[in-house]
Amino acid sequence: MSREHLEGTVIRILRVVGLIFFIIIVAFPFYWMIVSSFKSLGEILLKPGNLGLDIRKIDFYAYYEVLFEHGFLRYISNSMYVSIVTVVLSVTLATVGGYAVTRLRFRGREFMSFSILFIYMFPAIVLVIPLYVMFSRMGLRDSINLLILVYLAQTLPVALYMLRSYFQTLPLEMEHAGLIDGCSRLGVIWRIVIPLSAPALASVALYTFMIAWNEFLFAFMFLDTPEKFTLSRGVVQLAGSVHLSKQLVMAASVMVTMPIVALFLFFERRLVRGLTAGAMKG
Amino acid sequence: MKMASLTLKSITKRFGKIVALRGVDMHVEDGEFCVLLGPSGCGKSTLLNIIAGLILQDEGSVLLEGQSVDRLAPRERDVAMVFQSYALYPHMTVAQNLGFGLRMRGVAKQTIRERVLGAARLLGIEDLLNRKPRELSGGQRQRVAMGRALVRRPKLFLLDEPLSNLDARLRASVRLELKQLHGQIQSTIVYVTHDQVEAMTLGDKVVVMRDGRVHQIGRPETIYAFPADTFVATFIGSPEMNLYRGRLLHKDGRPHFQGAGFSMDLGGLQLNLGQGEVEVGVRPEDIEIGEGGNTTLKVKVQMISNVGSEKYIHARLGQGSLTVRAPKEAAFQPGQIIPLSIEPRRVHIFHEGSRI
Repeated sequence: MSREHLEGTVIRILRVVGLIFFIIIVAFPFYWMIVSSFKSLGEILLKPGNLGLDIRKIDFYAYYEVLFEHGFLRYISNSMYVSIVTVVLSVTLATVGGYAVTRLRFRGREFMSFSILFIYMFPAIVLVIPLYVMFSRMGLRDSINLLILVYLAQTLPVALYMLRSYFQTLPLEMEHAGLIDGCSRLGVIWRIVIPLSAPALASVALYTFMIAWNEFLFAFMFLDTPEKFTLSRGVVQLAGSVHLSKQLVMAASVMVTMPIVALFLFFERRLVRGLTAGAMKG
Repeated sequence: MKMASLTLKSITKRFGKIVALRGVDMHVEDGEFCVLLGPSGCGKSTLLNIIAGLILQDEGSVLLEGQSVDRLAPRERDVAMVFQSYALYPHMTVAQNLGFGLRMRGVAKQTIRERVLGAARLLGIEDLLNRKPRELSGGQRQRVAMGRALVRRPKLFLLDEPLSNLDARLRASVRLELKQLHGQIQSTIVYVTHDQVEAMTLGDKVVVMRDGRVHQIGRPETIYAFPADTFVATFIGSPEMNLYRGRLLHKDGRPHFQGAGFSMDLGGLQLNLGQGEVEVGVRPEDIEIGEGGNTTLKVKVQMISNVGSEKYIHARLGQGSLTVRAPKEAAFQPGQIIPLSIEPRRVHIFHEGSRI
């Protein structure tokens, strides 16, 4: 066996072993969560270590109970509202802002460009207490819209950064062509930059949605009224209740996770690059 | 078709400490094909962008039809531009690319369709109208870029090295088409290039630039025959003009050039300079092989480059070198000493860089 051949074989084996290792680490809790959510309470109490799922005994009762008796229908709609509004605002603001720091010359441009990521370097836990105090004094706490504002502040720096990097790759001459052809600046953004940035915009939207959907710390600190809870806040509420049934928490967790997975699968195809092919020479 | 004259008044532009344009003045007549020619970095593209309104000048004024357009946005200036990279909109079909400018100006759909079709026919790209730019070859993209400007029927066409991304053969044929096209549409064109062949063949007027300054403006044949300074003299013409530094003297009442290792009788020339430091230049095709004329020079052949239709002989003259054109049949050998004669009226004389 030649040396190259040996090396190739070893690398192939390592790759398979590594892949299996990571699949187990990532997928097992996921699997456990889904399987448990479909079991009845009796099933879980009788055989707590059972990894399998009996198809004939699939039980949707946990979902029913979580949705209709523990208020999760409300939490889901709250989370949807918060996430979608955050996505729309964040993508819109990041598009115009990112374009401005990429293409327009104005006083303080360098500083702005630099400080975009600087803001992101503060960990949320540092901000949450002063913000808690501030918003409490202002009487703004316990509001879903406030949460949107906080999420916006959290996602906008990265969104701006991502879009700025992408805009820098767009050919300047194409925008010049648009300006000469009769577009205003906003027209150029709307008709040329945005259509060509679809993959980047999709990535930003996905990222923002994920942050807003999964965020827990601020939701936990700022929301007091159960009607205003978001999903992640609701799951914790559920997990902390006295008569806890494991399958309920699992069902709730599935509801938190699934939309993100679905979004990923949906957007994955759209995240392909190379929309600008053909604009330039060669 | 509407046309417009273009006037630039002492345009100056700085980028930080770099001065890109130093007081450029020029005028382009209605329907004239004006070529901005210069080496890369001379400011010609910057000037074009200033005319388009994409860059604002620091000083000076741009006038279209005698009216200042300094305060107008690019879209309000009614100019069309063809970019070096073509800059097509990749997410639109060819037809949409062509019609975009008209659509932005609120032209009726039917009219847009007609004009797009008209321009596509003129350029021979009717079959490509439904394709996306990525499905086109380089030459086809170039045509679409031209078409996008044509459809607009603007006052002024601006072309920024539109042929530089084509291969040599295609470039030559598109150059001819461009010339014909200008004959058909008779519109005012400002064309930027660093290629002197394009400038000489296309331009009604050539503006030679270097380091942000205009060196000479004139008809191509004028610029070739009477270069205003040593830069223009050596930049235009291929192979380059032979240029020698030396002194102008008077012997027996006749002007003489005393150069590095040789002298030349310039008898018969009317010169407004008595004597002094000068540079003299002779184009390779203005030198006769053989004896005769006022001055006969003996040179030693060093190398021969054969371009097919003719040969260029590179030889040693005094302490410098000299290039002379020879017919394709010429059979000289390196090392051979040959006589050359130069007629004084073929000699360009420059004092302190400028023609005298």
